[in-house]
Amino acid sequence: MWPVAILSRCLWAHGLSPKWLKNMDHTLKHLKTAKMASALARPLITVYSEKNEKTGTSLHLPVVFKAPIRPDVVSFVHHQMSKNRRQPYAVNKDAGHQTSAESWGTGRAVARIPRVRGGGTHRSGQGAFGNMCRGGRMFAPTKTWRRWHRRINVNQRRFALVSSIAASGVPALVMSKGHMVHDIPELPLVVSDKVQSFNKTKQAVIFLRRIKAWTDVQKVYRSRRLRAGKGKMRNRRRVQRRGPLIIYGEDQGLKLAFRNIPGVDVCSVKKLSLLKLAPGGHVGRFIIWTESAFRALDAIYGTWSSPSSEKKDYNLPTPKMTNTDLSRLLKAEEIRKVLRTPHKRPVRAVRKQNPLRNVRAMLKLNPYAAVLKRKAILTIQKKHLDKQEFLAKKTGVPLQKTKQQVRYEQLIQKRKEAIQKSKAAKPKTAKKAKKAPAAK
Amino acid sequence: MQNNDDIVWSIINKSFCSFKVNTKTQKFCRHEYNLTGLCGRYSCPLANSQYATIREEKGIIYLYMRTAERTAFPNKSWEKVKLSRNFEKALQQINENLLYWPNYLKQKCKQRMLKITQYLIRMRKLTLRRQKKLVPLQRKIERRENRREEKALIAARIDTAIEKQLVERLKKGVYGDIYNFPQVAFTKALASEEVQEESDDEREEEYNEGGREEEMEEETRAALEDATEYVEAESDDEDMESDEEHEFTDEGPEESEVEDIEDMARPSTSKGKKSKVSVEYELEEALPEKTKVKNRV
Repeated sequence: MWPVAILSRCLWAHGLSPKWLKNMDHTLKHLKTAKMASALARPLITVYSEKNEKTGTSLHLPVVFKAPIRPDVVSFVHHQMSKNRRQPYAVNKDAGHQTSAESWGTGRAVARIPRVRGGGTHRSGQGAFGNMCRGGRMFAPTKTWRRWHRRINVNQRRFALVSSIAASGVPALVMSKGHMVHDIPELPLVVSDKVQSFNKTKQAVIFLRRIKAWTDVQKVYRSRRLRAGKGKMRNRRRVQRRGPLIIYGEDQGLKLAFRNIPGVDVCSVKKLSLLKLAPGGHVGRFIIWTESAFRALDAIYGTWSSPSSEKKDYNLPTPKMTNTDLSRLLKAEEIRKVLRTPHKRPVRAVRKQNPLRNVRAMLKLNPYAAVLKRKAILTIQKKHLDKQEFLAKKTGVPLQKTKQQVRYEQLIQKRKEAIQKSKAAKPKTAKKAKKAPAAK
Repeated sequence: MQNNDDIVWSIINKSFCSFKVNTKTQKFCRHEYNLTGLCGRYSCPLANSQYATIREEKGIIYLYMRTAERTAFPNKSWEKVKLSRNFEKALQQINENLLYWPNYLKQKCKQRMLKITQYLIRMRKLTLRRQKKLVPLQRKIERRENRREEKALIAARIDTAIEKQLVERLKKGVYGDIYNFPQVAFTKALASEEVQEESDDEREEEYNEGGREEEMEEETRAALEDATEYVEAESDDEDMESDEEHEFTDEGPEESEVEDIEDMARPSTSKGKKSKVSVEYELEEALPEKTKVKNRV
């Protein structure tokens, strides 16, 4: 998931839809420019001599290196581009049809497939023409007019190229691709133009050793092996890894010097190819730039503020997100200020209870219902008791005492006795004597 | 530059990373500076520009740190701090070096340092004990040598050589009068030996070894036969007598051969004690190489 997608989802969860985001131009514009400034700050790159010493010159990083890195675009374009070098293959158009076979029809206790005419040879009577027959033509014989090549939109091509250049400036991506770049002095690696005038391989090797790119070449050596599969017998016998790519401004013999070193590719800045910059469709090739090549990049691809001078009407692709550091964004004050408080405990839908059947639901709606209900219950009870009393009177049968009554009477009795006891225990003073008759 | 971290992670995670090793249950990271050894968003050294690890070299533990500013300079990106050999002091060192760093990194660094110290202790203890040296065997060679050993054993024919030796010694008289043969049997055997020597010269030529063996064994055999009669009665008597007759009467080889075959059929039963010799060969005529069979029996 791209940072944009993640960001929009997070914000939506916080009650901030991307649409609304767009409307918050006033805060975000400020945010944008501020962040854009830091994200797109152009550091200085020092140029190294061919002996791996820092020359005095340092160049601004070309804006190409800040272009959005889109591995999906690169992969797609690479996939399409790699089809363009293919040579057609097909089977012979007559294959399997050079017989005059005819089906024997039904009634002969054999399958109805066309069979070869004649006799006197093994071939007679054998099935022909079908893809299932021995010696028949294949299913859907391959044709040379298959669409072998693909066209890719110019802008897409350029987008992919620019992405892969940007990715080559990220050490993490170059390392993850597998290049051994842990000892080089800087990435992107820019070397003085002296390299362009090398014409001996020996010089080239010494140079690679000095700037510590030789480990990558050694890795190529170690990776040499035979291809798995039938490619071995189809002139694709050996396989090896890709090493560093050297991009030059002007070839003064450089090609001759580097061409015999396994894995090393050489390329002019004016004719950059995605197949070299992102071999296998994966971004992050290890590139060694010469100074003139590096300087030329700004002119070739343009900056956002000024379009390219070499390419007609071309400017670098604008990224969807200028600041992709999602964790920083979500913690940023400017964003947090605008969000509502998070709902840690969301209110869930409550099931409706029927107040006519559920007492508490009723009480929620109408608290007085309790009083009414109680009243009703009590009146019923009272009536019941009255009836019993009446019946008892009528029939002359005395009412039985309920347990409660019995206990109540017992209680009263006990209390009386207790009081009398306590009175008897206390010494009889004048006051008490006075009180006693009053109490009685 | 932290802008890049998220992008890098989304690329590494989704498409390709040369350090990632995928198993059915887990993703591992083969990067040497990885703190946990697993592939994850906050343990990936590539996807975190601010990163710290603990590594040990030759028994010394170092703390490596990298900050976002230094990622562009690969050969200078890692700052190396030697940690104290005292564990508590080392912990304090970690705390002070990674003072305002994310907690995750601090925790993992300390855990890793603990693990490393533990295994270093174990290593030191192990070196004090006897160290088993692991010697790899090469299967092909071992198998070949074993087979050759077997063959050599067979080719040496140790048992026959031993027999020979023993018989020689017996003849020489090394054992003196150890073996007590009944006198009669002994003399009989001697007598028979004399006779056999005359007629068995031819035989001896053809038989590889054990011409003498046969003689001797015949002697002893004869003795044994006399001693243990019931054994003889079963099988040998008739054969012996017939054979002897053959010897003396010089019958045709065919018959003897036939008998020989018959005899060959029961070599094991004939000899009670000495099962080596396939007995009834006493044929005058030269027999085809039956010595092999004989020896084995």
